[in-house]
Amino acid sequence: MAQKPQKKLFSRKKVCRFCADKEATIDYKDVKTLRNFVTERGKIIPRRIVGTCATHQRQLCEAIKQARHIALLPYSGAAQG
Amino acid sequence: MRRYETVFILRPGQSEDEISTIIDNTKKIILDEKGSIISLGRWGLRKLAYTIKKENQGQYVFCDYAGTPAAVAEIERKFRIDDAVLKYLTIKTAEAITAEEIDKAIAEADAKLAAFAKEASEGDEQHSPEDEDFAEETTDEE
Repeated sequence: MAQKPQKKLFSRKKVCRFCADKEATIDYKDVKTLRNFVTERGKIIPRRIVGTCATHQRQLCEAIKQARHIALLPYSGAAQG
Repeated sequence: MRRYETVFILRPGQSEDEISTIIDNTKKIILDEKGSIISLGRWGLRKLAYTIKKENQGQYVFCDYAGTPAAVAEIERKFRIDDAVLKYLTIKTAEAITAEEIDKAIAEADAKLAAFAKEASEGDEQHSPEDEDFAEETTDEE
């Protein structure tokens, strides 16, 4: 009997970055931080991947959308140039 | 009195005079409505993440102030009329703000602005291209 192929089981515990670091704030003006939470195409990375807690993901989501509105982040696609 | 933050983008082709007129007008509206300005700063010419009215770049102006909803409505009305304003964003940061808090915030903002200006000038010299910025961030993640 062939053994079942083991599933990749590297469940590294993800900690919410904003809970771990109390000084880190979520602000739409802080593009550098927000860039860590969007893909290269500009999509918001889901919580299950980045590991932020619900509260902070919600705040993050809003901040990203505000940054998009004022053209600090792209709505879609990579930044021009 | 509520506390608001407004960011607006001006067309890059504007002369200094035109920019300062728009800023002064905005200031005047806030002060007319008995509000007070906590900080007002220019972020300078920045690349936009996407084109707005066929412009790739824009002059960003940031204003943090205490004011009334009427002031905000008036500012936004003016922005909508003005062709030089590409886009604007107003965010309410506090539902209520007292005179003491305003003074405190002004002092804080002044200190912050000085630090920010210093950082920005250093940052510009070191790495202006976006690609470099991105590389730096990915290493941060690990």
